Amino acid sequence: MVTKEEIMKIAILSKLFVGEDEIDKLTEDMSGIISFADTINNAADAESDFDNINELSNVLREDEVVPSLDRDKILENAKDSDEGCFLVKNIMK
Amino acid sequence: MKYELVAGFETHVELATNTKIFCSCTTQFGGEPNTHCCPICIGLPGTLPKLNKRVVEYAIRAGLATNCHIAEISKMDRKNYCYPDLPKAYQISQYDKPLCEHGYIQLSNGRKIRILRIHIEEDAGKLVHRRGDTLVDYNRGGVPLIEIVTEPDFRSVDEAKEYVEKLQLIMRYIGVSDCKMQEGSMRCDVNISVRPEGSEKLGTRTEIKNMNSISFIAKAMEYEYNRQVDLIESGEKVIQETLRYDDVSNTTSSMRGKEDANDYRYFRDPDLVTINVPRERVEEIRAQLPELPEAKKNRYVEELGIPEKDAALLTKYIRIAGFFEETIKGTKNPKTAANFIIGQIFRSVETEAEKEAFDIKVSAEALNELIRLIDEGKIRMNLAKSTLDKMLETGKRASELIDEKDMGGLDESVLDDLCRQAVEGNPKAVADYLAGKEKAVKAMVGFVMKNSRGKADAALAEQKIIGIIKGQ
Amino acid sequence: MSQSNITKLHEGLVNKDFSCRELTEKYLKAIEKDNGELNAYVTVTPETAMETAEKVDEKISKGEDIALLEGIPMTLKDNISTDGIRTTCCSKILEDYTPIYDATVWKILKARNSVLLGKTNMDEFAMGSSCETSYFGGAKNPHNTGHVAGGSSGGVASAVGGNLAVFGLGSDTGGSIRQPASFCGIVGLKPTYGAVSRFGLIAYASSLDQIGPITTNVEDTAIVFDAISEYDKMDSTSKGSSVPVCGSLKNDIKGMKIGIAKEYLEGIREDVRKCIDEAISVYQSLGAEIVYFDIPSIKYALPVYYIIACAEASSNLGRYDGIRYGYKAENYRDVNDMIKKTRSTGFGDEVKRRILLGTYVLSSGYYDAYYKKAQSLRGTIVKAFREAFTKCDVMLAPTVPMTAFENGHAVSDPVETYQTDICTVPVNICGLPAVSVPCGFDEKGLPVGMQLIGNSFDEAKILNAAWQYEKTAGKFRAAGFGVSL
Repeated sequence: MVTKEEIMKIAILSKLFVGEDEIDKLTEDMSGIISFADTINNAADAESDFDNINELSNVLREDEVVPSLDRDKILENAKDSDEGCFLVKNIMK
Repeated sequence: MKYELVAGFETHVELATNTKIFCSCTTQFGGEPNTHCCPICIGLPGTLPKLNKRVVEYAIRAGLATNCHIAEISKMDRKNYCYPDLPKAYQISQYDKPLCEHGYIQLSNGRKIRILRIHIEEDAGKLVHRRGDTLVDYNRGGVPLIEIVTEPDFRSVDEAKEYVEKLQLIMRYIGVSDCKMQEGSMRCDVNISVRPEGSEKLGTRTEIKNMNSISFIAKAMEYEYNRQVDLIESGEKVIQETLRYDDVSNTTSSMRGKEDANDYRYFRDPDLVTINVPRERVEEIRAQLPELPEAKKNRYVEELGIPEKDAALLTKYIRIAGFFEETIKGTKNPKTAANFIIGQIFRSVETEAEKEAFDIKVSAEALNELIRLIDEGKIRMNLAKSTLDKMLETGKRASELIDEKDMGGLDESVLDDLCRQAVEGNPKAVADYLAGKEKAVKAMVGFVMKNSRGKADAALAEQKIIGIIKGQ
Repeated sequence: MSQSNITKLHEGLVNKDFSCRELTEKYLKAIEKDNGELNAYVTVTPETAMETAEKVDEKISKGEDIALLEGIPMTLKDNISTDGIRTTCCSKILEDYTPIYDATVWKILKARNSVLLGKTNMDEFAMGSSCETSYFGGAKNPHNTGHVAGGSSGGVASAVGGNLAVFGLGSDTGGSIRQPASFCGIVGLKPTYGAVSRFGLIAYASSLDQIGPITTNVEDTAIVFDAISEYDKMDSTSKGSSVPVCGSLKNDIKGMKIGIAKEYLEGIREDVRKCIDEAISVYQSLGAEIVYFDIPSIKYALPVYYIIACAEASSNLGRYDGIRYGYKAENYRDVNDMIKKTRSTGFGDEVKRRILLGTYVLSSGYYDAYYKKAQSLRGTIVKAFREAFTKCDVMLAPTVPMTAFENGHAVSDPVETYQTDICTVPVNICGLPAVSVPCGFDEKGLPVGMQLIGNSFDEAKILNAAWQYEKTAGKFRAAGFGVSL
């Protein structure tokens, strides 16, 4: 069982608001999903430790500079920018 | 009651690679905001990281230089937290399999500061607050860092200062970082607690974040030590919290508790693969390590006969040590070179930064030439000294500043003549000397030096002059 | 002929039976006509398409050789980054996001002058099995628009199945290529993890995601796979595929060992079971040997999948904060409030549920019981499949235990909907290749699909087996939409 408090805690970590009107339904949904996830705990402990799926190692890059992108491109998708920076405006002032 | 300070360090050191840790953008300091960026380091959807080979190498170097064990198998993990300076909302770091573990740095009092771990990770971008607005620049985002974590082994502020200086020096020696604290390429977090002297139990600790000068670290630690002792003595409790040090007021204050309790939800980064460090590679890197400052200093003392204090000064800056070693090549007395550097040359490089850069007009090879002239008896020490001053001023070589006729020793008969002239021409000085004023002889030696254009051996001249006076 | 076919279209272009311009216009017109009903495309790119078509026509008129995929009209799932063309993941949060770089797969196809008709619909951030979590509404099944096209690559399957593109690229995290291909009666390949670069694929779950082709027939799938399965230095998990699969497509499969894991047949619908049994008979008639065995750990595959996928997703989707790209809330108190409002209004319910689940299973106190345990079971399942491939060359299984859901059915109960992924997720957990091919129809005329599963980098084997089946007993049926060739 998941509690409302736990849902609120993970919502904060996830940077999501959960409204008063949503919390009951969400807790119910999440309880269902988590008890479904819980079924793995019926399995015996596996001895195998999982590594990365295609078993690669040491995939590395040489330390050679490639010119950076044009700043206009970097900022192109930002809703707000100023002085060459991404901007979060203070709209309370 | 007396209280003991207990402290540990977490030091972030920016690695001096050409490119960022996961993309090929430059790591150059400064630059217009967001001009050292690409889709990868601003975390555009769909981009993937690719680890810079040199970051792994540099971290291993740092580990070896601090006596760490280098992991055979390592990996990258995600540290999840959301903050505008972190474009992916996770920092790629290392959690349970850091590249280096269990090293130490030995202090001059003999104590070993244990290093728990050194791991690699990416730096965050920079936030600028302007009238309540938040501006974000990701130039620094993705610059490679190593984080060096010690055990809580510090018992005094002096130990902490020495550790930071030593660490800085080692990192510079092995060429992995310039460790410029004022530019943020070395930053320290300090954990501090206090406990009654003799007690084994650790007190509640606070953490002072992000300090970028050794003197601030010392002041902050002193302040925090006193604050904690005061709290305990007045019956209050130390609260475990993260603090910021304000260098203007010289106080620490609580960093406003972020709304979210920290739960970084570390897990292995599925976009990156295992790091394997073969033992042969570790040995290769070990073999390529330069002589470290401590070893160098000891060698200067033991093998070259340099006084310990001078050896410490010479090894404090890697460029100066290198200059010194170039200078003494093939010369007879390393002390001469040491004295020249610490005496005359240091007068022209006064600040730490100047010493660090060690940008002087005299090359090691030119100084070597000057010292060889002394070794070969071609010039006397005082001529050498004045010549070095001219060299430092003009950048000219000794051979350009000293006439051929000034070279070589003074003929014994010429010296005898000059001494005789000195005695005859200075009856007052002779009288003074005979009256017990021993210093009066100096004036006559000066006469000899002047008239021999510095070529005379002053000590020998003094002997001869005294002989003449006494023989009269 | 109503089944599009890359080789024939290529010949048509080379022989100047039609120009690339004509071909492209035909598809663009069909999209204009039918997309309203199918909702397969979320962005149509006529200018880009015509520009490429003209380039190809010019090459042909100059007598230059053209590659197989040159001039072929195609589509990309809307989570594959396209420089200058908006890429939304069918989420409000990326509604007006335009990438400034190309995904590697698109770079490859662009260099070959493949004609991009547009970007296709999908479940929001590829999270869903019906395409209905799309911010733009779900794509419809071309065989019956009262039913869904499937998910998450529903738009690609609807477009290819509805003849609005010759081929498309989708992504498969837990069945997102194979399930909609199965629902729409076409072919979809989920390649071996690492065979196709993920660079530029907007991540759902990084250790499971893989891009692959959706086409009307096995040969087309092989052609597209050969083109895109290149090693990519931008993707640390990339290996690329060394041997082209096209060459071995038509090999004899006499003596090939086809394995059936009994767990795949449990709980599947009777009519689906019947289609699978028929397919088994077809293989027997072709001289293949059928071997049966158990893989008991398959029963944990579904929860293991959801735990790992959601954990990775919760981290991958943290970056949508409104600052650098995408939707940004307009009224807020401070930066933190802006980020929370942006995410709360920008993400749909299913995405939020999966982010919350992922955060939960990684959070302190739960990590060991969920994430760590799931990882260790992942290891167990990987081992079990490795073991199974010592007993057979390829495995045969249903793609989905049922046929396409009715519109609106999938969204009611999340856990019940998750259960429909039971046959597709094991392959993603193990990083194995699997191709879904049509193998029959239910009584309503909705397609049934089966999958052929291979060992790592055994795409050649599964496509060989699939091609032989298709040639002998192929179940492709044209839907009444799009271009008729």
